[in-house]
Amino acid sequence: MKLLTTNFVQCAVKSCNGSEKSYPLKYEDCQLQLEEQEFKPAFIIAMLQRINWQALVKVAADLGNNNLPAEKPADVENNEALLKELHTLLIETQITEGKMVCENCGHIYYIKDSIPDFLLPPHLAN
Amino acid sequence: MLPTPDIKITDPEKVYDPAEDSFLLLDLFEELRDYFKRKEFGHKTPLVVEIGTGSGIVSTFINEYVLPNGYFIATDINPYSCASALQTNKANTTSFNLDAVRCDLLSAIQDHLIDVLVFNPPYVPTESIPSMPTTKNEEYKWMDIALNGGPTGMDITNKVLDSLNRKLSVNGEAYILFCARNKPKQVAANFQSNHDNFKVEQVIFRKAGWEELSIYRFLKVGGTKSTPSA
Repeated sequence: MKLLTTNFVQCAVKSCNGSEKSYPLKYEDCQLQLEEQEFKPAFIIAMLQRINWQALVKVAADLGNNNLPAEKPADVENNEALLKELHTLLIETQITEGKMVCENCGHIYYIKDSIPDFLLPPHLAN
Repeated sequence: MLPTPDIKITDPEKVYDPAEDSFLLLDLFEELRDYFKRKEFGHKTPLVVEIGTGSGIVSTFINEYVLPNGYFIATDINPYSCASALQTNKANTTSFNLDAVRCDLLSAIQDHLIDVLVFNPPYVPTESIPSMPTTKNEEYKWMDIALNGGPTGMDITNKVLDSLNRKLSVNGEAYILFCARNKPKQVAANFQSNHDNFKVEQVIFRKAGWEELSIYRFLKVGGTKSTPSA
């Protein structure tokens, strides 16, 4: 699971939808792997316009990276060092194993072999 | 004609092998290449989500040839399909902008984000929908889950249609495949009459053996009116 994907997923429990506490999920006990990929600055610049920066900062901190500025940097186009760092973080960083915890309902989801599993047990299924 | 991705299915007994319906989606997206070059999403990196990705062939094709700047999330309820989708993508693309997520339909995807949704549903009319396998002996059921759609073949598709307005981005669009027995014209007309912020149209049709397959585009065009449940 790429770190970028954590920006787009949420707790699958219906009553958590829209709850501020349920997004982003809290990432615990994660194993990370770097998967080298071609650096495409234009993709990162465009992606930055659409991602939730606060959620990214929080998940990065869960994974041990506290280097990101609290606010989305404005002049990222000309900051190649930051673009490269974001490329590594968003696209190359794979969470291969770990837990995703919803801070609203407490449900724990697991990531195994790089695949996050959001299937709910029958009593929680919508 | 663009090359068909070389699929990498981890467990052939448990993952849907691409067939006429999959190839109809590939042909449609090949035709839509110019349409997507012109289409303006709210940003330059559209989020593409495929529900029930199976082998991953459709997402991989779109990733490589149609929306190379997109970011792809391929969902499936079947863990073997999720693994296959990752492998198919790795074997066929240079961009690796795809992730596989195991979930029920769109349950784990944030609202209002999806720019392009693709769904080749379990559309075959069957008495009932199979339950999920709970033991190794029941794993043959994954194939039934990929195919069986309940009495009119619409049980699963209807769930997705009900969430479409909420899940799609402002000018997002969904491509959903139907067989004739799903009565797609009627389904499209019903959806249209409940959502005047959508434009619904058939975009491709094909007779494939005894099946008549069609794909409809559900395009969000702004406006606010929708059903209360949506």
